[in-house]
Amino acid sequence: MLILDLIKQEWKKSTRSRGFYKNVVANLFLGIFALYIIIVFLFLGFSLNSMLEKTHTSLTPMEMVNGAMLYLILGALTIRFIMQQLNTFNLPLYQTLPIKRSALVNFLLLKPIFAPINYFTLLVVLPFAIKSVAGYYSGIIALRFVLSFVFIIWFDSLTASYLKRKFGSSLLAFLAILIVLASIAALEYFKLFSLFAASKVVFGFIILNPFGLLIPLAAVLLAFGLNKGFFSQNYYPERFNQKLKGAKVSTADFSFLNRFGIIGELISLQIKLMLRHKRTRTILLTSAVFLFYGLLFYTHHYNGDGMLFFIAVFMTGILMLMYGQWAISWDSNHFDSLMTKNIPVRSYVTANYYLMIAFNILCFVLTTPYFLFGSKIIYMHIAAFFFNSGVNIFLLLFFSTFNTKRVDLSRSSAMNYQGTTYKSFLIVLPIMFLPMLLVSILSWVASLSVALWTVSLLGLTGILLRKPLINICINQFNSRKYKLAEGFREQE
Amino acid sequence: MIEVSNLQKTYNGITVLNIPQLTIPQGESFGLVGNNGAGKTTFFRLILDLIEATSGEVKINGQKVARNDDWKAFTGSFLDEGFLIDFLTTGEYFNFVGKLYNKSEGDIALFMESMQDFFNGEILGTKKMIRDFSKGNQKKIGIAAALLGEPKLLILDEPFTALDPSSQIRLKRLLNDLQAASQITMLISSHDLNHITEVCKRIVVLEKGDMVKDLQTNTDTLKELEAYFAV
Repeated sequence: MLILDLIKQEWKKSTRSRGFYKNVVANLFLGIFALYIIIVFLFLGFSLNSMLEKTHTSLTPMEMVNGAMLYLILGALTIRFIMQQLNTFNLPLYQTLPIKRSALVNFLLLKPIFAPINYFTLLVVLPFAIKSVAGYYSGIIALRFVLSFVFIIWFDSLTASYLKRKFGSSLLAFLAILIVLASIAALEYFKLFSLFAASKVVFGFIILNPFGLLIPLAAVLLAFGLNKGFFSQNYYPERFNQKLKGAKVSTADFSFLNRFGIIGELISLQIKLMLRHKRTRTILLTSAVFLFYGLLFYTHHYNGDGMLFFIAVFMTGILMLMYGQWAISWDSNHFDSLMTKNIPVRSYVTANYYLMIAFNILCFVLTTPYFLFGSKIIYMHIAAFFFNSGVNIFLLLFFSTFNTKRVDLSRSSAMNYQGTTYKSFLIVLPIMFLPMLLVSILSWVASLSVALWTVSLLGLTGILLRKPLINICINQFNSRKYKLAEGFREQE
Repeated sequence: MIEVSNLQKTYNGITVLNIPQLTIPQGESFGLVGNNGAGKTTFFRLILDLIEATSGEVKINGQKVARNDDWKAFTGSFLDEGFLIDFLTTGEYFNFVGKLYNKSEGDIALFMESMQDFFNGEILGTKKMIRDFSKGNQKKIGIAAALLGEPKLLILDEPFTALDPSSQIRLKRLLNDLQAASQITMLISSHDLNHITEVCKRIVVLEKGDMVKDLQTNTDTLKELEAYFAV
């Protein structure tokens, strides 16, 4: 009963938050995205059987899935470790009320399990179980197959939150996981130890043996127990927060920027902001991952020129795009401070401009290894760099003034859409797709070199005309300033 | 120093501030009192150009504040935590603010030294981020940062709330010393009638956006104010 009350209160908390109804359009976009994922998953679920039957092995489709199972578990665990938000709720609020401590902890632990997003995988599993497992084996085994997946979802969810609470979501932990995964894959590849074979045996037993399901169930209970143990040691928020925050400040010195006066000060402030908040650190991390995007696309030759340019714009501008969408909103917490201290609006806007230019140079340099894929890629990247630095940058500076929603930097990780409105989507769409369209059309009508020269010259013009263009952005900022200040003051 | 003419702020048809005319000369210590919702913070935000006036204007030294940067160079202000940059350590924050007002590292160190007494030894020399400080200490940090640029105009919104009794007394002494030593213009709002009469030479009472009293502080002012707010 108590747990039910708590769930109700959390539900009210989210539906009564100010942003909930205002944000209908953004939710609509996310809804469409979710629908897309659902369709893709269902499609995969229905076609998985025939896809696996086409591979030339003597294994049944289910045996192949069983073999991949441990990989799936580890992979899902990694993704959850990066993406899953820790379920926090205002513990001190309830701690003083006569509620049993174990009830609170149970609620904290079990709530994420009720999130529908966890069960998206079942969209693949269910059709596969019906079509393939029930066909090869029997209905009861198909049921066990699905149940084992449910248990695995619970296990992954609980284990991920345990690991996250225990180790925090530091870059180091992330690297450690990557290394572990890479070494497992290496062992498999060099045929020293096959996780695939082990997984096939273990999960074959789990699903075929009548009592096999007890194993994943035991694993779930073990993960639950680990979490409980963690909370019995770290129940008090102050100790708990210590674990989470680490309360360490890396006072890295950016004093070399001081030479550049107020603009330098603002840039170094912004870098500190990015390094000291979870949400912005996640952006840095995802940007780093996206730098490998090219490996997926440049290795195939069937991509059109427009698509290749899209990838080039994306990779050479990823940091700028990620940062620039919310260029002003990052400061929402201390916007009043920046507006009343001795910072001319010109310096503020110019600082954002130079920071984004620096991001572009950094991304351009980091993606130079792709030059090995041929001269076409070299020209693509150079053109994309100019286009980003001369055109997109001003679009971002201009349109970021429309993001008047407060961005809460402290709570977050990937997949956090707090502070996202439909405007955020409207900003990014033209920036990403217009150059793609332009290059496709020009390279179709004329030639690729005409297309690349055109976008490069557009970019160069923007770079040369930066003074008047920045002025336009300053005027825009000034006319939106009060709306921004008002929006940022509104807490969610 | 500050001239206000026909200033009005309306939200959804409800006027929250209406000041037809007000002049605050240089060197005046101006106190603002009024119950919640009287428009004190709205007035300060209008002076600091954080919200747009529905009509009328505020001028500082003859120049409109709206969409202007000039007044920022000699104005120090602290209204709420939004005026802090909470992910910096105190040292970094004071350095940042100091640089904005063209202070050298030596100047900044000297200033922080002079604030030691007000800080009660709790704020400087730690690697703690500002967000990890208590509300009272955050307020002290904000007030100090407002003073760091040697402002000619100082605007503080309820500076005494959340401070411990000793700190309140120290802050009063600090503000009175400042007035004696320089031609600083101060705008201070408070719910504590005792404090405000001790610090300010002129006190204005706001009620529902209107100026209902404009008093030069004397020995009877406190009584008059207490009588006004008595229920």
